Amino acid sequence: MNILICIKQVPDMESKFKINGEGNWYDRADLAWRMNEYDEYAVEQAVRLKEQVKDADLTVLCIGPDQVTETMKKALAMGCDRGVHIADADSYKREPIEIASMIAGFAKDKNFDVIFTGMQSQDRGSAQVGVMVAELLGIAAVTTIVGFAYDNGTINVKRELEGGSKALVTTTTPVVLTCQLGLNTPRYPTLPNIMKAKKKELLTLAADAGSVGSRQETAAFYFPEKKGGGIVLEGDAAELADKLIHLLKEKTGVLA
Amino acid sequence: MNFELTEEQNLIRDMVRSFAETEVAPSAGERDETERFDRALMFDRLAELGLTGIVFPEEYGGAGADYLSYAIAVEELSRVCGSTGVTLSAHLSLCANPIYMFGTEEQKQKFLVPLAKGEKIGAFGLTEPSAGSDAGGTKTTATRDGNDWILNGSKIFITNAGEAELYVVLARSDKSAEKHRGISAYIVEKGTPGFSFGKKEKKMGIRSSPTMELVFENCRIPGDNLLGQEGQGFKVAMKTLDGGRIGIASQALGIAQGALDATLAYTKDREQFNKPIAAFQGVSFQLADMATQIEAARLLIYNAAYRASAGLSYSQESAMAKLFASETAMRVTTQAVQLHGGYGYTREFPVERMMRDAKITEIYEGTSEVQRVVIGAALTR
Repeated sequence: MNILICIKQVPDMESKFKINGEGNWYDRADLAWRMNEYDEYAVEQAVRLKEQVKDADLTVLCIGPDQVTETMKKALAMGCDRGVHIADADSYKREPIEIASMIAGFAKDKNFDVIFTGMQSQDRGSAQVGVMVAELLGIAAVTTIVGFAYDNGTINVKRELEGGSKALVTTTTPVVLTCQLGLNTPRYPTLPNIMKAKKKELLTLAADAGSVGSRQETAAFYFPEKKGGGIVLEGDAAELADKLIHLLKEKTGVLA
Repeated sequence: MNFELTEEQNLIRDMVRSFAETEVAPSAGERDETERFDRALMFDRLAELGLTGIVFPEEYGGAGADYLSYAIAVEELSRVCGSTGVTLSAHLSLCANPIYMFGTEEQKQKFLVPLAKGEKIGAFGLTEPSAGSDAGGTKTTATRDGNDWILNGSKIFITNAGEAELYVVLARSDKSAEKHRGISAYIVEKGTPGFSFGKKEKKMGIRSSPTMELVFENCRIPGDNLLGQEGQGFKVAMKTLDGGRIGIASQALGIAQGALDATLAYTKDREQFNKPIAAFQGVSFQLADMATQIEAARLLIYNAAYRASAGLSYSQESAMAKLFASETAMRVTTQAVQLHGGYGYTREFPVERMMRDAKITEIYEGTSEVQRVVIGAALTR
């Protein structure tokens, strides 16, 4: 089996974010970086699939500046066989269709049976890249998967839908699968595997978004204004109840 | 000159930190309280992650990483649990490493491989009731009997004792030789007739790490278990402790960093006089001093670890790192308790445990006084 895993490097979400000089994205300086959480589920599922079928080759792909190779090394240490880094210092400015075009451009003649990726990135959160890759390659896509089983060419996945409902979907290869929280528990890369990752092939390619131009632009990037603090009511119980009923009538639709 | 960690070292830090926070930290307080060693968590999991043989070559079951990676791993484990940190340090630095440095190929295959793979835990028996800092005063005896050796005597304050399957033990093999020259090192397996364990120590800190007495009563061990040359034991012990100091220094660093992290979180959250106490200059100056001392300790350790991996001499550097890091740990954890106020004195907050754990780092594997002897002797040689 030929498997592609698309990952993204994102800031640690516990970082203190500042807005950049252009006011259209966060400032990338002084941040700690890690693998997009949803992509970790993608890597883990691909490695498990290889452990199941034995004969599989896992390529991990990442677009971004040179620093993303550290995150790619983690994917290699978790069990991916080779890495493809599409070098693009401006990747953070690109819209989903441009990123998807680069991935599809790389994947189009490689006959990948399964393409795993996260259902969205933790920083931009568009949730578009996976499905766009499938569309550009003319193959199926199943999104937000929380369960995966492979048997002799048939893939059964569980999807998470709104309202707590789930759906079971059967598909065949080739397919793009976007992974959701709960799909699995990603393994720690062991120390010997971290050392071995150093020796795995990591190819760097120049970025080429093809003829796809940018069609959207982030006009502003800002933190929401702080809402006023809570209201503290004081008084005895009867007084408090009256005040609360008054507030609920005035400010909400809870009481008519 | 480059102070940046490599990609591998960064990945190792991320991996160990994530493991430590997710799996080790939750039970650290309870294990301290109940003095419980959890082998599945504190050793077997480390083995699965490839941490039990970090610095040894792959052909001996290790991961082939450098000393800096080892220092980082011990630091990250100790940041949440000093007991787990010392379990790894004593196993790797004090038992596996002397076998790697002084063992024959047969000894490496038989003893180092299972230690590095984490199938067996290692421990080190040097200290005796009357021979602590004065290791040359070792009274445990080793008497030749045919091809075998017969051990008699006892060793105290032995980390990992009882749990460990393999022990590197120092004993006097030649009563007539000058005191440092008459000592030899031996590998003793748990279960050898005549080898038993005495009382388990009830300690102030690192209470989840077992510390026991080793007792040898006509304990017969095969001649093949002599480690290094006969009479070379003092050298084995000193070389072993050079490496051990990097481990303990890293443990101290981790404890200090854990205390600082907890204190930062607390002082930013705790409000008095209508503002977070971290906003008071008197508090922020203390935090600044704590962070600065920790960073200085870290650089001393990383330098010693770098020198160890590069094959340069590092005895003096590891003594300086251990001295400074352990005294930093004691100072920082004491300040951490102070800045937590009354809460810091309770077991509701981890800094109480960290302050108790920090104290031992100034004592074991060479007290602060002995580190000053080592450094002073090198300076005035």
